[in-house]
Amino acid sequence: MSLQFNIRIAKHRRTFIAIDHFEFPEQKVTFLFGESGIGKSILSKAIYGLLNPLRLDIHINGDSYPDYLRSARTQKFREAGFFVFQEPSSHLNPLIRLQAQLREGSLADAPGEQEILRHLWNHTPEQEIRKLLEVYPKPHRPSGGEKQRFLLAMAFKKLLRMQQEGRAQEGLYVFDEPSGSLDNHFRNRFLEMLFQRFRKGPFSAIFITHDYSIISEIYSRHADLREQIAFKELSRQDDRLVLQDFAPRAYLDWLKLEQSMETPPGDRRKPLLTMKGGYEIFGKKMIFRRNREEKGPDPGMLQIHRGEIVYLKAASGVGKTTLAKIIMGLQPCRRLEMRIGELAFSENTPRRVWQQQVWAKKIGMVFQHADEALNLNSTVQAVFAGLPIQPPLTPASIVQLLNELFEGTIEPAFLNQKVSLLSGGQKQRLNLLRTLALDTDLVLLDEPLNGLDFLSIQRVIAALKEKQQEGKAILMISHNEEIFEAVIPVENSYYLDFAGGV
Amino acid sequence: MPLLAQLQTIYQRKDQLWLLIWLGGTLLLWGWNRLFLNAPALARVETGFANTFIIALLVILLSAALGWLSGVGLYFLEKAGNSLPYLTLSFLLNIIRSIPQIVGILLGYILITVQIQSGALQRPGAVIPVIAMVISLFVFLEISDLVRERIAYYRKRDFYNAMQVCGIPEWQIVNREILWRNSLAHLFNKLISIFGVTIFLLCSIDFIISVGLSGNVSSVNLPATLGSLLAKIDSKQDILAIGHVLTHPGYLPRLFFEHLQGITVAFLIVFTLLCIYKIANGFARRHEL
Repeated sequence: MSLQFNIRIAKHRRTFIAIDHFEFPEQKVTFLFGESGIGKSILSKAIYGLLNPLRLDIHINGDSYPDYLRSARTQKFREAGFFVFQEPSSHLNPLIRLQAQLREGSLADAPGEQEILRHLWNHTPEQEIRKLLEVYPKPHRPSGGEKQRFLLAMAFKKLLRMQQEGRAQEGLYVFDEPSGSLDNHFRNRFLEMLFQRFRKGPFSAIFITHDYSIISEIYSRHADLREQIAFKELSRQDDRLVLQDFAPRAYLDWLKLEQSMETPPGDRRKPLLTMKGGYEIFGKKMIFRRNREEKGPDPGMLQIHRGEIVYLKAASGVGKTTLAKIIMGLQPCRRLEMRIGELAFSENTPRRVWQQQVWAKKIGMVFQHADEALNLNSTVQAVFAGLPIQPPLTPASIVQLLNELFEGTIEPAFLNQKVSLLSGGQKQRLNLLRTLALDTDLVLLDEPLNGLDFLSIQRVIAALKEKQQEGKAILMISHNEEIFEAVIPVENSYYLDFAGGV
Repeated sequence: MPLLAQLQTIYQRKDQLWLLIWLGGTLLLWGWNRLFLNAPALARVETGFANTFIIALLVILLSAALGWLSGVGLYFLEKAGNSLPYLTLSFLLNIIRSIPQIVGILLGYILITVQIQSGALQRPGAVIPVIAMVISLFVFLEISDLVRERIAYYRKRDFYNAMQVCGIPEWQIVNREILWRNSLAHLFNKLISIFGVTIFLLCSIDFIISVGLSGNVSSVNLPATLGSLLAKIDSKQDILAIGHVLTHPGYLPRLFFEHLQGITVAFLIVFTLLCIYKIANGFARRHEL
């Protein structure tokens, strides 16, 4: 049995999302992959009944949206199910304490609160959790990961209650990027609890994610549930949305076969970038370590040579992106000691030195969020306008460049497409290509796989390997540890950490 | 698109709706005047209307150019740490800012009158651009401020830094990416307001000059505008007739046949200002400014 939907969503008489077969198996957990911005969230919200029929013209299975919302099935989805939003801040009410929100409405007398919190906050003292429960959610506190775990705790409370009442099978549980702000440890705790509940009694769940490494976790620790788990991928084919089965083996096999990006032989005496640990930012002293377990006062040093790919790791919120901005001279910091080639940089170096000597000459940088790094009111072609490349890029050479990361034939009309109308994955690929087109010795990549589907991930990795073979160095910042640990030699890893308060 | 859907779209887009209302209302008024207003008076109204609109259009063009140049210029001078040119330009702009618009334009009119009397401004066609320049000088700061606000806002965005580290020249990021691609709607909305402000200032000053200084100034032949037409004796009588209707309602129909010049001019000013206000509001709402 499966849940089948035919969905059309229009605004101002313009259809912007349409899919004929949006299908999920009932009483199974479906992992839904696909590049960001393609429509996974809005389609899931549509079937759960969260969209506003006054703002959008929606038809599901031929019914108008108000009729769909009134149907018994939709009402059961909601009464016995739960929707965990992608952005936890939009789900939590800033005027109500977390404790009260955890016990609101149907969650009021739901059981298991303490056990759920203890499981999701593994290793955290009870006292700390109690303190958090007294907090009014603000943008900075609790952290994104903690907010996300509160939402998951709500979902689990509801699930537990529905299972006890024997109604869990009627509901629909949607988890929209539930692990986006969680590190692998907490993500795995969450998965463990989800599958634990599923083993007690199946329910229908949609799990939207870009995190393909979940597949490895499932195959290694929850292999008994493989038959109860479906993997699907939403993609665009000939301008139509298509939901297809995703073969998890394809990802696992690719990961196994992927060759490590060894540094090609060359001159290693002169590093391209040397940065001493011990720089101070936002009142914290930062240090570099060569392995996770290393302790001690040595501030360490980050060093990158020609043709080398270096993987910089750190827990969420430690300051990986800030470090990238410090290297590029976009973020001032104290006690900076850095050399880029022959040039020395300190906290007193003016920004114009970076502008004249470094930007697009020695180092290029890909910013983390394509949505913010690109001018959304620009066109695809204009993204490449003004790059200091000789000879200047022509429309034909831009098409050639786009072919590196875009599938299918690039039509000339695509060059005039507005960036804001592209999917998140397309924007991310443009974001990457703009920097990869430059002829810099070193490329800084901040979360280059953000929002990409599996095919695009493979293309990006291939493009980076090609870049490295040309002798370019790469500094990689990414939370996709599984993928980058497979392609970056372990001796090329650095860990960024706090050295304690200044 | 079917006609009904087109009409619905226009009704939802309030700026376009009010532009149509203004065009329709003005055309209707012109048609009525063609039938019932005497030819010399109609010619005067047409000239006044055309002059007013040409001046207002020139003002928005000049203000856009001056505002863009001064806003971008100030930004780059400040960034370059070139303090003397930056302080000089800021000082000059602040001097202009400190003068009330109406007083500044009146002073400009005095200079224009002197130039006309001295024979430096001979051709009537040359006076219109000079009037537009004088008004622009006292309204372009609104554009200049907006340009600087937009640059300051986008400088904090990642795309500004992301483009810079890709080696894209800053003048290109500021002029093309920030102002052209991301601020055109804001600038256009401001220019609509400036169009309305210009008509209001022009009519007010021309009215003041024509009433207060009519004897001497009329001898130098400033171009006729809606404001100066309103100050003419027959227009004033027409306006007084509206008051007369309040105590003698039976006189109302005669307003539309016997007092057309004054009523047309007054109606054109008020109706145009109302429509510009509505167009600017609708435009801002449609573009979510």
